[in-house]
Amino acid sequence: MPANRMSIRFKIRRQDAPGSPSYWQEFAIPYAPDHNVISALMVVQNNPVTTDGQRVAPVVWDRNCMEEVCGSCAMLINGVPRPSCSALIDSLTQPIVLEPLPKFPVVRDLLVDRSRIDEGLRRVRAWIEIDGAWDTHEGAPRISPIEWSANYLYSRCMSCGCCLSACPQFGPHSAFIGPAALAQVRLMNAHPTGRYDQAERLHAIMGDGGISDCGNAQNCVRVCPKAIPLTTAIGELGRQTTVQAVKDLFGG
Amino acid sequence: MSHPAADSRFLLRRLHSLLGLLPIGIFLTFHLWENSQSRFGAGHYNGEVVAFLRGMNYLPVLEIVVIALPLLFHAGYGLVVATQMRAELTRYRFARNWLYWLQRVSGIGILIFLLLHVGMTRIEGLWRVSVREDLFGHMQHLLSQSWMFGLYLTGLLLSVFHLANGLSTMGIVWGLTTSARAQRRFGFVCAGFGLLLATIGVHGLIGFLP
Ligand code: SF4
Ligand code: SF4
Ligand code: FES
Repeated sequence: MPANRMSIRFKIRRQDAPGSPSYWQEFAIPYAPDHNVISALMVVQNNPVTTDGQRVAPVVWDRNCMEEVCGSCAMLINGVPRPSCSALIDSLTQPIVLEPLPKFPVVRDLLVDRSRIDEGLRRVRAWIEIDGAWDTHEGAPRISPIEWSANYLYSRCMSCGCCLSACPQFGPHSAFIGPAALAQVRLMNAHPTGRYDQAERLHAIMGDGGISDCGNAQNCVRVCPKAIPLTTAIGELGRQTTVQAVKDLFGG
Repeated sequence: MSHPAADSRFLLRRLHSLLGLLPIGIFLTFHLWENSQSRFGAGHYNGEVVAFLRGMNYLPVLEIVVIALPLLFHAGYGLVVATQMRAELTRYRFARNWLYWLQRVSGIGILIFLLLHVGMTRIEGLWRVSVREDLFGHMQHLLSQSWMFGLYLTGLLLSVFHLANGLSTMGIVWGLTTSARAQRRFGFVCAGFGLLLATIGVHGLIGFLP
């Protein structure tokens, strides 16, 4: 049996509190097939003893759905930002190096504060206004199946933040809202009812930290676990903001 | 419904993008095409090419408004844009990530090259009659030194890369190319344009050599 079939080894970057220095610890658990990073971390949690035999505080991380739809479990796994529940141990080289998701403030160990994602969504009004003083529409608005299937791609975003952590323009140093919120603007602007607020959303992304902070490195689309066509959204929003800017300057 | 107008930063960034092509990109293309006539020798170069340019109507105004000011703005705002970069080239080894980094680094390289290049030709020519009267000879003298040839070659290739890659990302920024396939296709078109322009440019440099 190869060595990595006998045990599962982790090298984890730990941090006790926000702002405190980080340090590394290694753990090993007996091999079992079909583990993912979270289920293996649960085994570590049962008996948090490092490979040097030291009993330590259990490792803290975040997770919820365990089926790659909630986005809460994203972390840096062997240097790549990705959801840990869908990172299968059998496909990873060992020792598996776990680090908190970059660009976001660490709360503790592998748990980060991702509220900046929500702030971005709020800033761009990534929702559809349905309650007003009058009916916004009658009956179910119709869209073509082609449009629907294009829109569907964007609706799968789970706000995991992988795209943001890979983006060279996003981080504590910049006000950039990042690709995830931009893709939601693309989605909401295409909705038959959401269209009414298109100009407001476009103005939001034409502001500070908006679409013009994108540098087209296109890392985002490469790391997104839901294969969301982020750079297509950015191109389409480039077109929409061009038209919007012409309207702003010349009227109409 | 009140729509606050677009943030001035958005407009500045778009202006920065536009100026890179119009007039700067067009000027670079024209400049390289023109200098590729160096292969016809000193007589043609000094007597036709330089003489035509120097006889242009409103020349100083054109030089300042069409070339110097747009370049200064593009360079200055470009430096601001470059400070936003936090590239991790080894972690994300994707071609576009490298191009993103190279675009910013080449911009800084071009700025240094242009200060030297303009200083050695246009500015020096203001007080040295020999530079003005025999630009071909002056260029031949400069480019005959191998380090100077290397400097010009580097400056040329960086500029052509910056224009070609800038053109391909302009497609995304302005919304000409949206789908991944269109962005890829246009990327190849820009690469082809860059190669052609680089060839013309190198041809021009070689034409000055004795
Ligand atoms: S776009 Fe993709 S990577 Fe980004 S937050 Fe949404 S699901 Fe995650
Ligand atoms: S294309 Fe590049 S700069 Fe733009 S959002 Fe994606 S990763 Fe960030
Ligand atoms: S736990 Fe929900 S995406 Fe991993």
